Amino acid sequence: MAKQVLIIEDDAFLQGLVVRKLSSSGFTVQAAGQWSEADTILKTFSPDIFIIDLVLPGGMDGFAIITEIRKMNQFAQTPIIIFSNLSDEKDQTKAETLGASLFMVKSNFTLDELVEKVNALIK
Amino acid sequence: MTTEELQKENEALHKENELKGEIISMTGHQVRTSLSAMKWVLKMFLDKDFGELSTEQEQMLKKASEQNERVISLVSEMLTLNKAADGAIPYVFTPTEPVPLLEKIIFEFMSESYKKHIELLFLRPENNIPAISADINKLHIVIENLVDNALKYSKEGDKVFVSITPVGNNVDISIKDTGIGIPAEAQSKIFTKFFRADNAQTKDTLGSGIGLYMCKKIVEAHHGSLTFESTGHGSTFHVLIPQIVATDNAK
Repeated sequence: MAKQVLIIEDDAFLQGLVVRKLSSSGFTVQAAGQWSEADTILKTFSPDIFIIDLVLPGGMDGFAIITEIRKMNQFAQTPIIIFSNLSDEKDQTKAETLGASLFMVKSNFTLDELVEKVNALIK
Repeated sequence: MTTEELQKENEALHKENELKGEIISMTGHQVRTSLSAMKWVLKMFLDKDFGELSTEQEQMLKKASEQNERVISLVSEMLTLNKAADGAIPYVFTPTEPVPLLEKIIFEFMSESYKKHIELLFLRPENNIPAISADINKLHIVIENLVDNALKYSKEGDKVFVSITPVGNNVDISIKDTGIGIPAEAQSKIFTKFFRADNAQTKDTLGSGIGLYMCKKIVEAHHGSLTFESTGHGSTFHVLIPQIVATDNAK
């Protein structure tokens, strides 16, 4: 069965590009623009990996979302990639401390490289 | 002006500076979002995700992609300089064993160098290397950038050697590559702010892209020096850092 990915990204254009690339690479992809949408999706969709932006609307930023996901038993060990354009060391350390598996700065990677990292993490 | 007035003015200036820093930081991150979109779309075009391209279309899109990468590097460097300028990254010096640091960095670049078919070697020293007083995170960034550059300006089949030797009261960490070298006209400029040589062989490598200007600044803050020599057959960068001098030396 195809591996499942949930992406939480509020920029519709970027979200569309990531969904397109991951889908064409054989993944089943669902996308949300903020946590409330993601929470609804998670009732019927069980991702093998999360890709999450940091700056998000709706009162829950990427850090809060990592914490929320890690509280859910079934996702306690699921890989989480933080895919953001923030690059401060302290943001990275914070995300990793909260339980992110990998921190990627969007502008430093192509989508092929994102797919590579996704594959490496869910192998 | 009274001391109180001076203090007030100083505070106001400080606040203004902080605000400027924040504006730069916010704008930088927003610009990066657009740059990411451009980067990904251009890459998809070049990968023929949207169909075949004529030779001219492909050439033009490659040029656009190169220009975009240049701006991405500039923004990264601007964000780093901004952080450095507001003193948000104070130095914390601790006694540091340089060899494990180098091993760690080499390990980080293993898969990337393997993918590019460039041999990355650590010439492990035979003798003990004395400890240095270093801000380990910042020195890490410097060495990482130098290795990243060495890989960036090398092509398939080239080699990159990292070595460390005691030289006088210093240790000399050298990063040598057999790549394309630094063009003569660029050699006098490589340590200036925002400089990029335009003969990079590949883009999108691991480094933080802070540039050699920041690297030199960081090494100098360690009371060391960053120098290089370069020919058409490659470049060698030397990071010279003083050894820790034992203060209670037995006579």
